[in-house]
Amino acid sequence: MSASHEAVKGSHRDGATLFALSARNVTKRFPGVVANDGVDFDLAPGEVHTLLGENGAGKSTLASVLCGLYKPDEGAVLRNGTQVRLTSPRHGLQNGIAMVHQHFRLVDRFSVAENVVLGDRSLPFFLKTNTLNDQVAEVAERFGLPLDPNALVGDLSAGQRQRVEIVKALYQGADILLLDEPTALLAPPEVEKLFETVRSMAAAGKSIVFVSHKLGEVVDISDRITVMRDGRVTGSVNRGEADGRKLAELMVGRDIDLSPRRATGACGDTLLTLHNVSLYRDGVALVDNVSFDVRAGEILGVAGVSGNGQRELAELVAGLVAPAGGVISVCGNETNGQGTRSVRRAGLAYVPEDRLGTGLSPSLSIVDNMVLTKERGFVVDRKGARLEADKYIAHLEIKTPSALTATRKLSGGNSQKVLLAREIFAAGDDAKVLVVCSPTRGLDVGAVETVHKLLDEARAQGKAILLISEDLDEVLTLADRLLVLYRGAVVYESAGATADVEAVGLAMAGLA
Amino acid sequence: MIVGNVRIDFEPRLKSPRWLMVAVPVLSLVFALIVAAIFLLATGHSPITAYGRILDKGFLSFYGITDTLGLATPLICTGLAAAFAFRMNLFNIGEEGQMYLGMIGGAWAGIVLVESLPTLFAVPIVLLVGAATGAMWVLVPALLRAKLGTSEIVSTLLLNYVALNLVNFFIFGSRTVLRDPSPFPDGQAVADSARLDRFGTTNTYPTLVIAIALAVLLWVFIRYSNYGYETSVFADSPNTARYAGMSAGWLTLSVLLGSGALAGLGGAMYVVGPAGKVDPGLLQLGLGYAGIVVAALARYNFLAVILTAILFAGLRVGGAALQVSSDPVPISIAVVIQGAVLLFALGGEMFRRNRLRVRRVAAAGGVA
Repeated sequence: MSASHEAVKGSHRDGATLFALSARNVTKRFPGVVANDGVDFDLAPGEVHTLLGENGAGKSTLASVLCGLYKPDEGAVLRNGTQVRLTSPRHGLQNGIAMVHQHFRLVDRFSVAENVVLGDRSLPFFLKTNTLNDQVAEVAERFGLPLDPNALVGDLSAGQRQRVEIVKALYQGADILLLDEPTALLAPPEVEKLFETVRSMAAAGKSIVFVSHKLGEVVDISDRITVMRDGRVTGSVNRGEADGRKLAELMVGRDIDLSPRRATGACGDTLLTLHNVSLYRDGVALVDNVSFDVRAGEILGVAGVSGNGQRELAELVAGLVAPAGGVISVCGNETNGQGTRSVRRAGLAYVPEDRLGTGLSPSLSIVDNMVLTKERGFVVDRKGARLEADKYIAHLEIKTPSALTATRKLSGGNSQKVLLAREIFAAGDDAKVLVVCSPTRGLDVGAVETVHKLLDEARAQGKAILLISEDLDEVLTLADRLLVLYRGAVVYESAGATADVEAVGLAMAGLA
Repeated sequence: MIVGNVRIDFEPRLKSPRWLMVAVPVLSLVFALIVAAIFLLATGHSPITAYGRILDKGFLSFYGITDTLGLATPLICTGLAAAFAFRMNLFNIGEEGQMYLGMIGGAWAGIVLVESLPTLFAVPIVLLVGAATGAMWVLVPALLRAKLGTSEIVSTLLLNYVALNLVNFFIFGSRTVLRDPSPFPDGQAVADSARLDRFGTTNTYPTLVIAIALAVLLWVFIRYSNYGYETSVFADSPNTARYAGMSAGWLTLSVLLGSGALAGLGGAMYVVGPAGKVDPGLLQLGLGYAGIVVAALARYNFLAVILTAILFAGLRVGGAALQVSSDPVPISIAVVIQGAVLLFALGGEMFRRNRLRVRRVAAAGGVA
């Protein structure tokens, strides 16, 4: 609490500034949790203010209090310096405050314009489509948000839907926009467009609260960043003072080490080989003549923009699909199209990108998930699985009420630990080759550090690791060598750990 | 929902307290009886007398409970059949038809195959052939589902009508070994060795023991075996099953065939028990469709199927007894009572998993 006060005092703002929106000593409790504990927050007119924090830090709760969705148990919300008691989001809107939720609240079968005016009680009983379309298009254009008012929302991409939500908020007369994890569902180019929109709205005098847990993306966009942890504000920094390492420490509460990790020893035998491997669907090459080796004790990184054959490459290596041509061998055994069970027997473990919907069975317990990729007899050995689960819960500090808890009830980081425990450690020496896809997607900074540490440990144990990730930073942090995949083909290959980042970027964009 | 200045919400419970497991079914039953009482009072009958009679004739009196257990025997089988498929998200609606086929197959085996065999062999053969014909009836829908992804709901449902007409054909429209040669349309009786004696003078047959044992076995098998594990993973997340190298085709096919076999077994139990022939009377009972309700009430738990099947059968037997009392209640009202009990039992589930919260809210628009 003191930290936040100091930060406010120490900033360039003085007491005379009239903040557009403030929270004073806000406390909000849920059964068993204090989601917000005496939180202070100030939003100046025309500023982009980021609320940064790990999942469960209380950022979304604070945003919900600010927009009228939740009533605070203690404390007050101030609009232009006067206290307001918001009773509902509609009431918040009457005060010019709108929230754009992480999961969009739109009607797929309605047009863009119909969605935008939905809930507007001032409309006449019979709607004139043309007038509506003009009004909506006018609002959209004013803030540089290209949208076709006639398009069906069901046909739009995630980024376009988000634009509809923003236009809706603006149409309803919002001066303050709360964007809850706005980049979670967007592809990188759409994120760039969103940032442009945010800037243009701020330039037009709107105030924006940007809720995010992604450290990397918020530094550029924010005029000010307030960091939360365990329901409290741990610090605030202004533009130009932000430094990734310091923010990470404020978020997690300890020093975070995200510095590069490389192989320390010499590499061993070649354990995974792909030779001219291809896969086609409907005449299109999804994986195009790919060849590479991975040796024991090294991580080969595969970078690339999402949808350039990464998923297919992983499934080929894991034996889930058979290649149209070429040879894949695991530990010296040719495994083409033999099915995933025999590829595993040959010595491969696989951590898929979609951890909860593919790598784990979400409604089943941690114990049951430990035996998912094991050889099981007629009767499932749950006693052994229980011992194993308890061991890794203790060893990897997996936060769970018990080993019998369903994996879907775990946080992203903890469910990823369960998956890694099974594929890396419980498999032991049976798994010499490890295929890992986007292992830190959607995880907190603290969990990212843990996952990187575990992968580094597996490398030190002498496993050959194929790391396929859309997060270039991750590949650059961990890989000893790297490839870039573009339209299914290898378009760039680095000799050693030091890749030419510019060349990699060009290769990812298909300009190599 | 907002009524006046009171706001009513359903919130999921984080944990269902133990006492609710008892309180919810009991209260559901009480509310169902109150609702049904309105219908009884409106038609000029005393609810107390009617309920007393249902309880007596369906559950408490010796001949009441034994009649109920007799009816529950094939119902346990169709309930298990539905639970086995539904828990895998395979919606086999064809238990009715598969049960008819079990009756046809069982009767055929009882007439043709087992004449010279002792009961010890004859009855198991009849039951096995009945199970096999039941499974056969779901083979085409199962293959279509496993290979082409065709909805099993429609295909199994439509085959019920085919099965129904097949029974009618054998009894009324043809001269096969299944039909008695006399001019009166009836099924040919199976060999005496293919039938089991009832317990004493009751309507309960030893097949009840087989049905209950089967429920227990199935429960143990699914809970502990690798096959049960794979079906659980597949039901929860087909992608995960594929990732782990399980065969979706085999699991789909085997579960649907198993479900058909269980329903067919119910039909064959009807043969070795009360019927002793292909009996069109089975068509009137609707035990296949009832099996789906029984399974849903049991939340697809095999052990609970035993209890819900007995409850369902008891309501049937007790309800039927209402018509022949000194103050006869029309069958439609008896069906209303059954329906109310089942509906409330299903609805009560919502209260076990959710908490009802009633809060006062500030009047809307109170603060500008």
